[in-house]
Amino acid sequence: MAAEVQIFGVRHHGPGSARTLVRALAEFQPDAVLIEGPPDADGLIPLAADGDMEPPVALLVYESASPSNASFYPFARFSPEWQALRFALGRGIGVGFMDLAAAHRFAMERPAGPEGEAPEPADPEPEGAGALPPARDPHGALARAAGFADGERWWEHMFEHRRADGSDALQVFGAVREAMAALRESADSGAPGPRDHLEPYREASMRKIIRAAARGHGRVAVVCGAWHAPVLERMPPAAEDNALLKGLPKARVDATWIPWTHRRLSASSGYGAGVRSPGWYDHLWAHEDAIAERWLTRAARLLRGEDLDASSAHVIESSRLAYALAAMRDRAIPGLDELTEASEAVLCAGDPTPLAFIHDRLVVGDLLGAVPDGAPSTPLQQDLQQTAKRLRLAMSAEEKDLDLDLRKETDLARSHLLHRLSLLGIPWGARGESRSRTSTFHEHWRLQWLPEFAVRVIEAGAWGNTVLDASLGKVRDRAARAPSIVDLTGLIEDAMLADLPGAAEALVTAIADRAAVDTDVAHLLGAFPPLARVARYGGVRPTDAESVYRLLVGLAARFCVGLPPACRSLSEEAAGAMLPLITEAHSAFALVADRVDQVSWHEALGRVAMDDRAAPALGGKACRLLLDAGLLDPRGAGVRLSVTLSRAAQPGAAASWVEGFLAGSGLVLVHDDRLFSILDEWVASLAPEHFLEVLPLLRRTFSTFAAGERRMLGERVRRDAPATGPDRPALGIDPERGARAMGVVAMILGLTPGLTPGLTPTGPEQGASS
Amino acid sequence: MSEVIRRPAEQMFAEELSKLASADTRERPPSWKLSPWAVATYLLGGTLDSGFEVSAKYIGSRRVIEIAVATLATDRALLLLGVPGTAKTWVSEHLAAAISGDSTRLVQGTAGTAEEAIRYGWNYAMLLAKGPTEEAIVPSPVMHAMRQGSIARLEELTRVPSDVQDTLITILSERTLPIPELNTELRAVRGFNLIATANDRDRGVNELSSALKRRFNTVVLPVPATEEEEVEIVRTRSASIGVSLSLPGEPPPLEEIRRIVTIFRELRAGKTADGKTKLKQPSGTLSPAEAISVVTSGRALAGHFGDGSLRAGDLASGLHGAIIKDPAEDAAVWREYLETVVKERDGWRDLYRASRELL
Repeated sequence: MAAEVQIFGVRHHGPGSARTLVRALAEFQPDAVLIEGPPDADGLIPLAADGDMEPPVALLVYESASPSNASFYPFARFSPEWQALRFALGRGIGVGFMDLAAAHRFAMERPAGPEGEAPEPADPEPEGAGALPPARDPHGALARAAGFADGERWWEHMFEHRRADGSDALQVFGAVREAMAALRESADSGAPGPRDHLEPYREASMRKIIRAAARGHGRVAVVCGAWHAPVLERMPPAAEDNALLKGLPKARVDATWIPWTHRRLSASSGYGAGVRSPGWYDHLWAHEDAIAERWLTRAARLLRGEDLDASSAHVIESSRLAYALAAMRDRAIPGLDELTEASEAVLCAGDPTPLAFIHDRLVVGDLLGAVPDGAPSTPLQQDLQQTAKRLRLAMSAEEKDLDLDLRKETDLARSHLLHRLSLLGIPWGARGESRSRTSTFHEHWRLQWLPEFAVRVIEAGAWGNTVLDASLGKVRDRAARAPSIVDLTGLIEDAMLADLPGAAEALVTAIADRAAVDTDVAHLLGAFPPLARVARYGGVRPTDAESVYRLLVGLAARFCVGLPPACRSLSEEAAGAMLPLITEAHSAFALVADRVDQVSWHEALGRVAMDDRAAPALGGKACRLLLDAGLLDPRGAGVRLSVTLSRAAQPGAAASWVEGFLAGSGLVLVHDDRLFSILDEWVASLAPEHFLEVLPLLRRTFSTFAAGERRMLGERVRRDAPATGPDRPALGIDPERGARAMGVVAMILGLTPGLTPGLTPTGPEQGASS
Repeated sequence: MSEVIRRPAEQMFAEELSKLASADTRERPPSWKLSPWAVATYLLGGTLDSGFEVSAKYIGSRRVIEIAVATLATDRALLLLGVPGTAKTWVSEHLAAAISGDSTRLVQGTAGTAEEAIRYGWNYAMLLAKGPTEEAIVPSPVMHAMRQGSIARLEELTRVPSDVQDTLITILSERTLPIPELNTELRAVRGFNLIATANDRDRGVNELSSALKRRFNTVVLPVPATEEEEVEIVRTRSASIGVSLSLPGEPPPLEEIRRIVTIFRELRAGKTADGKTKLKQPSGTLSPAEAISVVTSGRALAGHFGDGSLRAGDLASGLHGAIIKDPAEDAAVWREYLETVVKERDGWRDLYRASRELL
């Protein structure tokens, strides 16, 4: 090989590395630069010099056929790779990426099974892409050897604070290479990491590309992760590498630049080669001197912006403390640890909240990059377009109605797509009420594609590369953030409609978390029915169903304890809101009766039913539910009814009780003479002003009965005979007064001409009386 | 002379302090008996080059102690914050003992603490006889410390009325104590500093003015980070308390301590140790100090009224009292915890039954 090849082993995203690299490159004067990265994206390199390109940005390489199979290669301005790119582009010398082509990598990583089935949805977070250090943590290993707790701090201590220039800079890279060579020797005997099977191919490809570059140029600079530096220096015969790389499978890939953020550079976002403190590194890159003072000043200004006390005196004292801490720990200048501790003790006065704020805004930061318009479109855009085309949905600005029959496969897929898009905040379709049909397998949508949706699609790209992945990611995120259980119960139904595999699990966990600390019984009750449906009708794998059942049992235990007190001291409105919750929870118990014990629920209902302080409507409802379930015999219900309707009771409260008890179905009255007569007597005994007060309530109650029931009740009243209960005591009844009452009841029941309300019966009954 | 219940730290650990002082070659700030490094070692424990073992006074985060020592070394006053029972007073006593060799310059802050307790009072007989003179002044512990160049300690700073708190401002920023009656002032000798402790549960009692707050570096003493750490704290402390109270019976078994610590940690964190279930949190602080007292009272019960070995029943009443501070809400929290966690856990049935009986 004629050319001189110099290997520069760097730490990805290390500002010290970047600074030293720039000096070393200037010293070395290369005429070609090779950078670790996917060669598939070589065509995109010139865009890096574009004026509109602002780091942090990422190279996105994805398989054309399934965009969810993608790798991100992020660059910040303090990334050595980025500086090398700019160096080369600035001087107009040749620059290219070198690594195993993503085309091969995707094909090799593809599961060996038969194709056709959709691959498992990938994790929505960017995976630790191939260009980044191997699963092993070489810096960590060296740091531990040097007695540091973690690699980042050690590297910072060794390199970021070092101001090497010229030939000294070249020597630093020599030292790094030697350290890595020693490390690799000891590591090669160890067990291979998860990605290791690709490493020989990656390094062979790198060498192949280096050889090709060496043929055409005089001085080649190679910038790669420090880990790879030793093997790129010792070149084995070309034939060996060529043989290894021969006949590798290949996939079609596309690449583009996308804007990136500091937050997603941070390791906590799930990015394998992430750094913990991108904001701090950016600070280190931007400033050469007074780093601690500048940092603390920025922190103080940040706090001042939030109206927190942070005077110059604070900054002075915190920098003194930072320097004292550094001295105690034998460090030359304060690092991020010392600065954070000093900010905590002085600037934040020990309060973790502003400190977390500093960490979020300053140490991590929200800096958003920008890419020029010339960059190709994102995978989510492409996935959406392909899916829409496949489902024959036109993205048109015209409004269009769509009636979907969910029994048809295409229509079902369309429904899923529209539901997923609404989850992503892209309301392409608005769900309308099914008009004529009452069937549940029809969905009615009104479609309209608005131009601004395009922007939202790009935004949603942050959640994933396909509509499925993105909506899953979004749902998971919302599940993690939702402040209370109420926000989650709706989401779980939406996720089921959108057919998101895996979303239910995240939601169930989130609900379990919220439920544990939620003290509002109404929230817990509300969460129960959707979860019961999930457990019953799927949406989760059998193993996860187990956890749903566990959650259901826990939920039930909590709201059963809390139900009786929660039913007390409620306003009429609050009781009205509680009523459907109790009813729905009760029917949900029937869904999961085989797995969730109903006994304590029935006990709770029993306590509500017998509780004089419970809201009357709820007491009545509880009584009715128990009666329907056969847990309260008609005699007991009768006793309860007569207690409630006794003279001492407020007529308004009594009427609410009757509403709770009877609403939905009047069959009990038809079949049980005793109940009928108690009610009858009560109505008859009401004083005129009380009667006027309760009349609307009673009418509302009776209007919910089915027409047949009302007719039967009416006929019974018209017979004008005293009700004949089996053990009715022979009382001296005043027929005249009785007749008056009968007339009133007839009026209530809508049997008096002119008063008949034109109301239609409601849906199916809540169970029949036993 | 009869024996005192507890001697000050500098006497209890006199040997460790002198060994550290002789081994300590690092630079010492003016008037410090030890270098910052040695002070940190005294608190955190360690082995000296001579092989001498320094016991750990504070089991927990190293950085907390380092920040505290560095603060005092930069001549800033130190405010130790934390929920009750996180060893604030303990740390401040040992810091003072290690730095000045004197931990007795102590002002106990209360709602009734007057300015005289922080500045100086007067010997009224002498004041009437001779008028205001140097001799008529009755110095406060703070004034003593200023003269000596040692560390003064102020307990429960937030309990002290705000106007009295603010007398500290001049002392801390100018390091002088004006005595207007004599038209003079006392200038603090180098080495003077102040360690204050405050309870951040009832921070609102007498919130520090921002002028005063600025004079302090604040270090928050956290509750123990890991279960192991906490078990160790409870074990060593309850063992030593058992000795000083001469409690009958066997020392508490480790698994009982572990159970208490687990319950306290779970309720404090609001989730179970495996992180799978969230829990409601009671209103009390559930500090290690309270765990220690649950174990101690359980031992006393077992020793005096039981068969000498600590059982679930002996712990249940202590737990009940430590957790239920608010009869309505905390009882519900405790009941829910018993039903959802304790009941299900293997081998915890005895504790469940004993605790249920008390509810």
